[in-house]
Amino acid sequence: MIEIHDLRKEFVLSKQQQKELNTTDTIATAVNGVSFNCQPGRVFSLLGPNGAGKTTTLRMISTIFKPTSGTIKIAGIDAISNPKEARKKIGFLTGSTGLYARLTPNELIKYFADLYGVANDDFQERKEYLYSLLGMHDFQGKRIGKLSTGMKQKVSICRTMIHDPEVIVFDEPTSGLDVITAENIIELIRNCKEQGKTVIFSSHIMSEVDLLCDDLAIIHKGEMLFNGQMSDFKSQMQTDNLTEEFIRIVKSSNTISA
Amino acid sequence: MIFTIFKKELKDTLRDRRTLMMMLVIPILIFPIILNIFVTISSSFQEEAANKTLKIGVVGKKDNYFFEKLQSLPEIHGKKTISFYADSLTLKKAVQDDSVQLGMFSLDNFNEMMSEKTPAELIVFHNATEIGMKERGEAYVDYIENIALQERYLDLNLNQTQLKPIKTSYSNVASSKEMIGKLAGGILPYIFIAFGFLGCMYPAIDLFTGEKERGTIETLLTTPVARWQILFGKMGVVVLSGLLAASAALFGLFISIEVLNLVENEELLNVVHGILNFQFIVLLFSLLLPLTVFFAGIMIPVAVYAKSFKEAQSIITPINLIVVLPAMVGFFPGIELTALTACIPVVNIVLATKELIAGTLDYSLLALSFSVMMILAIIAVFISYKRFDKETNVVI
Repeated sequence: MIEIHDLRKEFVLSKQQQKELNTTDTIATAVNGVSFNCQPGRVFSLLGPNGAGKTTTLRMISTIFKPTSGTIKIAGIDAISNPKEARKKIGFLTGSTGLYARLTPNELIKYFADLYGVANDDFQERKEYLYSLLGMHDFQGKRIGKLSTGMKQKVSICRTMIHDPEVIVFDEPTSGLDVITAENIIELIRNCKEQGKTVIFSSHIMSEVDLLCDDLAIIHKGEMLFNGQMSDFKSQMQTDNLTEEFIRIVKSSNTISA
Repeated sequence: MIFTIFKKELKDTLRDRRTLMMMLVIPILIFPIILNIFVTISSSFQEEAANKTLKIGVVGKKDNYFFEKLQSLPEIHGKKTISFYADSLTLKKAVQDDSVQLGMFSLDNFNEMMSEKTPAELIVFHNATEIGMKERGEAYVDYIENIALQERYLDLNLNQTQLKPIKTSYSNVASSKEMIGKLAGGILPYIFIAFGFLGCMYPAIDLFTGEKERGTIETLLTTPVARWQILFGKMGVVVLSGLLAASAALFGLFISIEVLNLVENEELLNVVHGILNFQFIVLLFSLLLPLTVFFAGIMIPVAVYAKSFKEAQSIITPINLIVVLPAMVGFFPGIELTALTACIPVVNIVLATKELIAGTLDYSLLALSFSVMMILAIIAVFISYKRFDKETNVVI
């Protein structure tokens, strides 16, 4: 379970950043008062155009960034006051996740298992399960730099799941992947849901959202525009399809703020 | 956890060819290559100098006292040919275009002046860019002048010893170890510092900027490991790489001397054998450790701040110059380890190592140098920690 309440994140702008953004403001608000809950066994999708604050929100949930204000609870643990314990519950995967090219899948998976403090017996069992599930036995000893994109994605998935996290955070997980490779991720999200894990993923690919999510939130310029169940969203639609509805909501928010 | 990160980063680093080249291959080869080039050049230079026939052009009368003596000089003073020129201008030009290496001009009344026992004038033309020519000219002149002096003593019936009121002899009290240590001992710490820095450089960039650039840092930060533990694990590898590079240079020196026998000078060999002992190595590394931590501590904030490998390299390379230039202080004889120089980072390590080689190290100054470097290393580590803890620096 993920519980987010009144989350806010501000960044101090350097002179260079002020120049680049053509602003005199010394502070940029990336996320402004966002609240939502993600339930176990359900897939929560965070939607928004580029620069909406999706990645910042997910980075705060994953404890990479510390919020300026607000609260985050991961599986009942306060992620702000106790980030180390919260991290044990989280699996984190992004579309741009890199891997250590000079290590083999075996070495990399063992490294992350050690960092998560997975006991050796649990590690062997978990590794065997994931290797069989993902078909990784054939390339487990090869250097990651020599693997195909699909193989690398499998290694990334295995790394994310090796400590059997309760909460999985996906930041645009299929970005830059071909449909075959992206299918591994889609399958993983489905599996997580079946296993009763809490899944949150950010995307701007509406077909993916339609396929997977149970609940969704739309954010734009750091502010929440919609938060509810997918079925409610569909019933309130004023356009013919999800993409058009998403664009309509974002544009109307632009009109209001203007 | 620090050790888990350290182990992984070390494995990763040792599999990087570029780092291996800078950390092990080049430092091991540097001493054998430098010494080999030095020995080859100096022996061929000596051989050439010994075999070279010096061409001397002269202007003056054929029966000139000086030229006659010059012609009769035995070959032990070096092979030479003598040719006569019509005037000083032609002679000067011949020296300029290297037709002759020395030109000697005397007036026609040279012999008369000699007979009258007044100073007879001789002008020696030489080209200062031709190293060693002036010295050979001086040697000939001194030799012939000494013969003329002896002849005058006889003619005037003078006792030579009575004309020399003070007999002076200079005795060097410095041992050859001290001489070599103080005069040439700066090269060793310079090489260590240069390679210690280069050894740290690639791992620092690879383990911090590289991790950002490859997009692996984000996943590492979501693991239940404190940031300071990640920093220390990585920093340990950067420091070890610097020390390994410096050790590889020392190993290269050992190979050059003990295996390739590139050093033949007995005195130098004795000094080198004297310093290549356990105590010297322990003391040297006790100085190098805080220095390498200091290097890592100044490189890591840059590597954390930089967004790309190229950016990090372009900032760290000028720092290399700033660090290596003070290390050159060791090349200047006369600058010694004092309470003041012991407080200047890098310079203190170079001077302390020089004193260590010369066997004249004051241990209180060594302790001061060590303390200064330790304080700086701690400050540098603290700055690294603050930088690494700043979330906007770590994640692109």
